[in-house]
Amino acid sequence: MNGVADRPALVAVDLAKSYGAVHVLQRISLEVIAGDLLAVLGPSGCGKSTLLRVLAGLEPPDHGRIEELGRPVTGPSPERPMVVQAATLFPWLSLRANLEWGPRARGRPDPEAVADELLQATGLAGFADALPRQLSGGMRQRAAIAQVLANEPPVLLLDEPFGALDAQTRLRMQEWFLDLLARRPTAVILVTHDVEEALLLGHRLVLLSHRPARVVEQRDIPLPPNRNRATLADPAFVSLKAQILGQVLET
Amino acid sequence: MGLDQDVGAAGGGLDDLLPAAAPRAGSAGPSRAVRLAVGAVVPAALVVAWWAASRTGVLSPRLLPTPGKVLDSSREFLFGGTGGSRVPGVIPFKGGAAIHLPASLSRWLVAYGLAVVVGLPLGLGLGLSRWAAAALDPLVQAFRSVPITAWLPIALVWFGFGEGAARYLVFIGAFYPIVIATTDAADRVPHQLVDTARMLGTPRWALARRVYVPAAMPGIVTGLRLGLTLGWTSLIVGEITGQDTGLGAMMFAAREVSQLDQIIVGMIAFAVIGLLGDLVLRAITRPVVAWADR
Repeated sequence: MNGVADRPALVAVDLAKSYGAVHVLQRISLEVIAGDLLAVLGPSGCGKSTLLRVLAGLEPPDHGRIEELGRPVTGPSPERPMVVQAATLFPWLSLRANLEWGPRARGRPDPEAVADELLQATGLAGFADALPRQLSGGMRQRAAIAQVLANEPPVLLLDEPFGALDAQTRLRMQEWFLDLLARRPTAVILVTHDVEEALLLGHRLVLLSHRPARVVEQRDIPLPPNRNRATLADPAFVSLKAQILGQVLET
Repeated sequence: MGLDQDVGAAGGGLDDLLPAAAPRAGSAGPSRAVRLAVGAVVPAALVVAWWAASRTGVLSPRLLPTPGKVLDSSREFLFGGTGGSRVPGVIPFKGGAAIHLPASLSRWLVAYGLAVVVGLPLGLGLGLSRWAAAALDPLVQAFRSVPITAWLPIALVWFGFGEGAARYLVFIGAFYPIVIATTDAADRVPHQLVDTARMLGTPRWALARRVYVPAAMPGIVTGLRLGLTLGWTSLIVGEITGQDTGLGAMMFAAREVSQLDQIIVGMIAFAVIGLLGDLVLRAITRPVVAWADR
């Protein structure tokens, strides 16, 4: 229990954030280790997205500190990218050029090879030269996740990344994402209001209150690994879902 | 303009996630040839009405010369006589195209180029920097309300009766649309694109070139088009006085001898050249804005 892998990839301690008189985050602490997926579940409008923006370094907290791999977080970084619901690919660039952006910006030796690998991993090899608007919503979302993974970040922040998709597409995307992560040591923080998504994807769960968001509960998600659509019918999953849903409705 | 460019290699083994923007056959509308033909109907009808009104005497040639007369004068302007043997102080019409068109075009393009070179960076700066906007925007907004014609007297004092005054007025005409459109377009670049670029490791200093300019390009091109045409229409103000070359000089010389047909030839030249300029600019800028087409 003392390997590098067990050192938290990202630690946040006592985060607080207000906009004027509106308190959004109240003393939030959490951490995530490599290969772990922390699902942050909370009611709509509770400040989940603000929490993620603060963790991403896009907005400074009023109070508290954030460290990634032992270094304080002071701004956005390719080591800690965020993907949001409305995927942000660069609309004037082909899919391939979008995937190459990160490695190029950081002066990595072989952006083309990175893009090739990600085109395979996303199943979008046939769309390398397509513009983002020529892709479906699900494709764009996969591409946006692949785009930030091109830099092999130790930490990945996801803000309802599959929230805008229809139910079937969402499930396919979730399975694709589980498969993608299984081969990577990335620490993931996933923000969602969807209990099912949190339990299907997460190893651990943080439950947030209504605004101002504070941590109501942190717990492990005691479901076996290698999850997929069949997991949704697992009695352990079903009863856990009912239990967490009850908690969410009470908070 | 922008249909017909979709990904060739769609489909193929990919679950059911189909491309959102599959070929837009249904929304393509009439073909290019049909649209050109439709676009020619109204002008052609107007010419026929003009011809009929002149022919029947409803329209006096003192108010508007006949289409035939204007056509003859156009031919004269383009191909008639010798532009070479010029009498000093006389503004020729016959064969004048060889003199007036290059004069007007060079004033236009030189001054427009200058307006682009100055206006684009200024507009970008105003769009990207709150400080630059706070310092300069009120001035820009106030000065752009000064009409082109109001600049003429002071332009003559500053630049004298030479190329300078005409170029300066074209510059003023082209400058403001370029600045305003560029400022606005840069200001409206979605912040998420900038966030994403930064989270991909793009350094701050590279954001203007790599994110703001390409993302703002459709708006910038609109400003470039407006500026090109407004610069062209401002040119005539600079050619009213103190010039013995240029389309404007020719038209005002014709007015003094009441040659309405020659004035109309000048108007047609303005219209045709302005249209061609816009078409050329659109063709040049097309590759950098095609991504934003419907």
